[in-house]
Amino acid sequence: MKQSNLLGKGRGPLLALLGMASLAASMDASAIPVFARQTGFKCVACHVGGEYPQLTSLGRMFKLTGYTMGDANDIFNLTTNVDRPPVAVMLQTARQFYTNTTPAAGNGTAPSSSFDLQVVSLFAGGHITDNLGAFVQWTWNKYDGNITSGSQYTQSSGIDNTELRWADRIVTPTKDIIYGVYTNNRSTMSDVWNTTENWTSDWIGYFNAGGAQAPGTFMMGATAQHAEVGVGAYGFLNKTWYGELGVYKSITHGPLSFMTGGATGSTGVPLLDPSPYLRLAYNKEWGPNSFEVGLHGMTSYAHNYNPVLNYSDWSGSVSTYRDLGVDAQYQYVLDPHYFSAHFRLTHEAMNNVLGVTNAGGGTPTNPTDTLNETWADVTYIYRAKYGAMLFYHGATGSSDTGLYGMGPTGSPNWQSWMPSVFWAPYQNVRLGYMYTFYTQMGGVSGNQLTGGLGPHDFNTSMLYATIVY
Amino acid sequence: MKRYQALLTLTALSVTLGACSNLERSRDLSNPQVSGNTLAQQVCSTCHGGTHMSANGNSINPTYPNLAGQQAEYLQTELQEFHDQTRKDKMAKDYMWGLSSRLTTEQMKSIAEYYAHQKPLPNPNQSNPALVAAGQKLFAEGVSDKGVPACASCHGANAEGNGPIPRLAGQHANYLYKQLMIFNSDAGRENHPEALERPHGAAMENISHGLDDLQKHQVAAYLQSLR
Repeated sequence: MKQSNLLGKGRGPLLALLGMASLAASMDASAIPVFARQTGFKCVACHVGGEYPQLTSLGRMFKLTGYTMGDANDIFNLTTNVDRPPVAVMLQTARQFYTNTTPAAGNGTAPSSSFDLQVVSLFAGGHITDNLGAFVQWTWNKYDGNITSGSQYTQSSGIDNTELRWADRIVTPTKDIIYGVYTNNRSTMSDVWNTTENWTSDWIGYFNAGGAQAPGTFMMGATAQHAEVGVGAYGFLNKTWYGELGVYKSITHGPLSFMTGGATGSTGVPLLDPSPYLRLAYNKEWGPNSFEVGLHGMTSYAHNYNPVLNYSDWSGSVSTYRDLGVDAQYQYVLDPHYFSAHFRLTHEAMNNVLGVTNAGGGTPTNPTDTLNETWADVTYIYRAKYGAMLFYHGATGSSDTGLYGMGPTGSPNWQSWMPSVFWAPYQNVRLGYMYTFYTQMGGVSGNQLTGGLGPHDFNTSMLYATIVY
Repeated sequence: MKRYQALLTLTALSVTLGACSNLERSRDLSNPQVSGNTLAQQVCSTCHGGTHMSANGNSINPTYPNLAGQQAEYLQTELQEFHDQTRKDKMAKDYMWGLSSRLTTEQMKSIAEYYAHQKPLPNPNQSNPALVAAGQKLFAEGVSDKGVPACASCHGANAEGNGPIPRLAGQHANYLYKQLMIFNSDAGRENHPEALERPHGAAMENISHGLDDLQKHQVAAYLQSLR
């Protein structure tokens, strides 16, 4: 079954964000994550209403200039500021509530009885030289949706969002030019508009009962496991025009394999031949408003099981996933009001190899399939303390019983909604409640899913608390 | 294998290039060798600048004040207050404390002079004409029965400022209103000087207190509309 790994995808944004997020109004001034320690900014400077991962204009510029703005931790000259260690930690504790608590049916990856520490992330990074910076993240998950022990999902740990970025900025009286190169371990990690998968704001949604079944395009879902390494180059002209080209490939050995450590080899992790990535965007800022509209695309060449995927075996046949989409963002940032909205529509054309199991674990029955994935969200935050969000995730496409097994016809059609509220008493503490409604799965909205279940049987709610330090 | 070599080469090249100090285009706020001009262009311009003319000190988002044509003495004083953490309003804490904490006196002076020499542009944000008309009268005449003198008497007939007294012409109305609210709050903290959010704005405390909420909006709208 072709799946978007919500767990794998989710942990990235989560952590990363938290790491960038900063810190603590009422706590010790040094109690701040990596980039806040470096710049001295509070969370709200770089994240909309302090809501990581959403980047403000300032946050985008910080990232595009290579994480270098701020005080230097000059490693080469050994003058690292020991009072501002370039490390941070993020903790998430939560309790999930499932509509249907039958194991392996409506239940999610976390036991419904748990109210426990579920995710821990460590961060490092920031300014290395005047042009070079890094973002490094490692994550432990108590309940990994890819790994089971008996009837329970079990823990995993490994590298998460990790990027090394070199950037330069040329400012003249009439021009503002940023250009740079990067290497990272996840396509869309380089992006700054929060419309593509790595940095959308539903990071807290993992462990949902139905989320792991959501059909996702290859670009947004299957490459989420940080099991690839990419290099890319980009330019940003006059804070207006953005262009980026990259190429991603699985790394099975050699010095760069540290960037995929712990993330390779499990079910659902694709083995990629060199796969090109494209990003174009137009950015407009006026008054407290900013607007972006752009194109995103990737053609992924993923090895199929041969016959059982060995992560270093490149001899198997290759399926091709051509993804191209449009996306847009609007933000209003003027204290005490913070608002943002995002939209993305990604179209995928699959060229399948019949008769073999693909990288996602499905065995397609059609030589070609199409999938359209839609994402939209709105967020409002007051005084960077009280927030409400609503996410929508939808999919439509050609039916293929070998890829989408939930419904009776092999349809990927899907709709889910996630409203949530949260309170951030301090900028590095967040308490929230999120509900996930599933209104369509496998092309049906009634009780025609496997086992006589309906989409509503997967509804999940979640109480959570996060701390970043 | 060639692909790995290419990746390695690129990475090595990046590190090598990056290892070179780049004082002309550095964003390092803790290196006293980086000039104020460079910091203004590489760091300050991110918020206090436009798009293709990001170095000009005319900001886009009203969260961030326009700095173009501002009085150098005022700018340097404020930077010193951020550096010393004596200016304690929310935005100062959220944005400026950290940025300025390691700047040298020379860098702050240089940044102040850089922005004082930039040309202020008309504020693109539209002010409500009704507010502007009332604000113009407040600016020119004050409110005598509340003890509020004419703003023009200190800030200049065209709100151009003078030395330690800031230029207000073309400043974002939202920013100006928020500063008036800070001064207004400080007026109630006279017995707790350590709690003053803008201690160097003591002259504005009673003036702000003498303006009602609508009047604060009016004078801010007028100043934003000034060319």
